[in-house]
Amino acid sequence: MKEMSKNSTTGAAGGRRNGSGNPLGPNSEIARKLKQYYDELVSDEVPDRFAQLLSQLEEAEPAEKKD
Amino acid sequence: MAAVSQSFKTELLGAIPSLRAFAVSLTQNADKADDLVQETLVKAWDKHESFQPGTNLKAWLFTILRNEFYSQMRKRGREVQDSDGIMTARLAVHPAQHGQLDLKDFRGALEQLPEDQREAIILIGASGFSYEEAAEICGCAVGTIKSRVSRARARLQDILKISGEDEYGPDAISAQVTGSNAA
Repeated sequence: MKEMSKNSTTGAAGGRRNGSGNPLGPNSEIARKLKQYYDELVSDEVPDRFAQLLSQLEEAEPAEKKD
Repeated sequence: MAAVSQSFKTELLGAIPSLRAFAVSLTQNADKADDLVQETLVKAWDKHESFQPGTNLKAWLFTILRNEFYSQMRKRGREVQDSDGIMTARLAVHPAQHGQLDLKDFRGALEQLPEDQREAIILIGASGFSYEEAAEICGCAVGTIKSRVSRARARLQDILKISGEDEYGPDAISAQVTGSNAA
């Protein structure tokens, strides 16, 4: 079984990898599916409510800094 | 109290897709996941001063989200988890051939894992955290994460009837996968 020339060691996440790449085994079916499952979730469009929420939080903040 | 910096806000925004993915993985429910992300953002905003610049913001946020998830779960007496049976019944398990495992089957199998195993395998295998970071996020030992990942993987293989232990090559963990061949 040759895996496709798709190597997912360069994930979007910032975590550092140990030399062996994906700890689940780079060629494993489970590792690939897990990536696929997760990448699909990550690429889901973010609803506006979150940007709105952050803007509200920002507005609610006292403008002046004191310490 | 210092104001929240613009860069902190920008980073929060940038982390939302990952947070949502992790939240769905935990809750197995899109609506609950988004509520959880919302709670996480509010909490992160409130305690932004406890974040140490230069450290991993994503890990910090995942920790908040995870804590929030478990505290909600405790409050609700664990009914957060899939009302059992439904998902399981939907999962038609048929022997998976190499490379032909359906994503829907995989999702169903993932749902059957206990939360601690599911989060471990997600953090390590999908979110890109190191064992050390995952251990910190989950507030447990590195060895605990390793064994959860290992059990999660074995369980998934079992549910999905994947028999290819040899796929994993020579790593110590895969040796633990016992040859189960349930019908």
